[in-house]
Amino acid sequence: MMISLKEMWAAIWPSFRHKDDEHLNTYYTFHDYRQLWGMGIFVLMATALLPLVVMTFIYYQLLEQSINSESLLRTERVTSNARRAVTYFLEERLAALTFTVNEMSYDRLTNPEHLRDVLSNLKLGFGGLTDLSVIADDGTQVAYAGPFNLEGKNYSDQPWFQTCKQHGACVSEIFSGYRDVPHMVVAVKSLYPDESPYSDGRFFILRATLETERLIQMLASYRTGEHADIFLVNHAGVLQTPSRYYTGASNRVTLSLPSYAERTHAMMALDAGGRSVVIGYAYIDTKIASTTFILMVVKERAAMMKVWLELRHQINWFLAVSAIIIAVVMTLTSTYMVKKIFHADHEKARTMLMAEQNCRLASIGQLAAGVAHEINNPLALINETAGYVKDLFLIEERYKDDTEMVEHIDSIIDAVERCGTITRQLLGFARHFDVQVQPVNLKRMVDDVLSFHKKEAEYRNIAFHVDIPNSIPLIETDRGKLQQIILNLVNNAFQAIDNGCFLKVWAETDEAEQVRIFIRDNGCGISKDHLNKIFEPFFTTKKEGKGTGLGLSITYGLVQKLHGNITVQSQTGEGTTFVVTLPVHMEKEVQS
Amino acid sequence: MKHYDLLIVDDEQRYADMLAKRLGLRGLNCRICYDGRSAIDLVGEAAFSVIILDLQLPDLYGTEVLERIKARRPDNVVIILTGHGTEKDKQACMASGAHAFMNKPLDIDRLLTIMDRLKTRLV
Repeated sequence: MMISLKEMWAAIWPSFRHKDDEHLNTYYTFHDYRQLWGMGIFVLMATALLPLVVMTFIYYQLLEQSINSESLLRTERVTSNARRAVTYFLEERLAALTFTVNEMSYDRLTNPEHLRDVLSNLKLGFGGLTDLSVIADDGTQVAYAGPFNLEGKNYSDQPWFQTCKQHGACVSEIFSGYRDVPHMVVAVKSLYPDESPYSDGRFFILRATLETERLIQMLASYRTGEHADIFLVNHAGVLQTPSRYYTGASNRVTLSLPSYAERTHAMMALDAGGRSVVIGYAYIDTKIASTTFILMVVKERAAMMKVWLELRHQINWFLAVSAIIIAVVMTLTSTYMVKKIFHADHEKARTMLMAEQNCRLASIGQLAAGVAHEINNPLALINETAGYVKDLFLIEERYKDDTEMVEHIDSIIDAVERCGTITRQLLGFARHFDVQVQPVNLKRMVDDVLSFHKKEAEYRNIAFHVDIPNSIPLIETDRGKLQQIILNLVNNAFQAIDNGCFLKVWAETDEAEQVRIFIRDNGCGISKDHLNKIFEPFFTTKKEGKGTGLGLSITYGLVQKLHGNITVQSQTGEGTTFVVTLPVHMEKEVQS
Repeated sequence: MKHYDLLIVDDEQRYADMLAKRLGLRGLNCRICYDGRSAIDLVGEAAFSVIILDLQLPDLYGTEVLERIKARRPDNVVIILTGHGTEKDKQACMASGAHAFMNKPLDIDRLLTIMDRLKTRLV
């Protein structure tokens, strides 16, 4: 579980470790892989998400617009219908009163019996009337028909009376009046007929009281939806019919009043609670008399457009989910790509480094061979000459006693011999010898090589760990050269370690193509500066005269001849691991 | 010390002289020549018990000289003494009938030992 989590994390957040082998750094094409990775994600995300976001934004705009226009349209329609109903309701009654006034004589209207008949007829025909009264031009009630007997009352100070007197007809606001019951008044003015004794321009008024209950019910029938309200207010903002949500102090509406418009209108607004509402309104006017009513329809926008808003909600979800999916996919893609680039770069850098080293070693090898070649002849001459002088000393009688001279000559010959060894090894490093391919059992060979050191290991208390599994196949290669390679590396390790350390040799194989042999010691290690020089001829950290510095360069040459390669990993103070990679099947080399 | 007739073939005159002198001190009779053709001629004229042959000669390569000598006198003992002979040279020479292959600088005692061993085997 832990491992899979780690792997998942690694798939998303890559770690580019190339700092550990700094001499490879010059060969990297990109230095900042993390930046490359970030850029990759950014570019991919931008191209993938930008159109999505823009599309959603446009869609939002369109949706917003259509929600608004649809809300306005719907509200306007409702308002318009309600207005027509209210107007019709009032006009119908005004018309009935006008008809009555024109048809009946003043005498008949003022007769209470007759007036009661008229009221009951009007109730039958139109309904919604409570009472009927005739009022003289001085405001006194002349005749009354209805449930309340208010005969002799004076209405001259009532606002509706004034309006009616001026305009010939009126529709009052809804008020409580003497009865303390909300009601409204419609009234029409009529002049006395010509033949009547009052026909000198005087008038009387026929007044009817209307039940507001009926108007309220009618308005309520237009109310649809949850948060919807429909009511009447007067021009001063006082509620005429009850409002569900917008009743404020002293029965005033809590909305600001819309400005006058002849036709029905709808608009967007915010109510006192801060919610977005659509307000439809209409100033009510009848043909016969003007009124102070404003019809208002208020609907909450959100509730009204529930379906649309749900759709928007779904779009939000869709956008969020797809953005997350895109982000994850893009991150994974970018990580994968940059990892590929990184690994390719890493491989390339290693190959380049190796090629550079090969090249350098090849030219050094040529130089060394040339030098060795040229030095060998004079060396041979020195050897023979010194030998001859020594012969003279030993063979001729006359110098026989001078033993010091012989010692000097011996030291010359010794020096020449040492030089001879070096030139021979140098030539060996540069030259291509024939390779004898034969199957080699690696385990047996390593055991053989280590057995040379058994005594010394015991003496120095050095532990061997050999782990060469049986899965390692027989390697077809040159036995002698492989033996020398292992011997050189083991010798090398032996010289690097102190008493009581260990030497580990193990091997692994991959798909029967290559075998890697690891030779590890926990000795003094190789410093970073030295690490890429150790295969060069004459490079040695040993004291002068102790080593020729040719051991590893010869080993290198030998590994090359076996078509393999050799690498080294080392940490100062912790030890060194040489890795020799060899092909399992080596084609017999053609002599160059 | 046994007495041999030796032929030293080496283009480096001073080296050849010095070697001849050293072997002379050990009672060996040496003749010297400095190129391949005269060596072949000399072998035609007289028999040598051992021929010491360098590989890099100015006119002919050592292996060729060896082959021609062997063609004239198959029983001649030839020791190759070279400054920078390769493994391939060694194999070619041994295949053509050389008896030993030695590198310069030379250990004279080793040469004498080898000659002794060859002589006893041949006799």
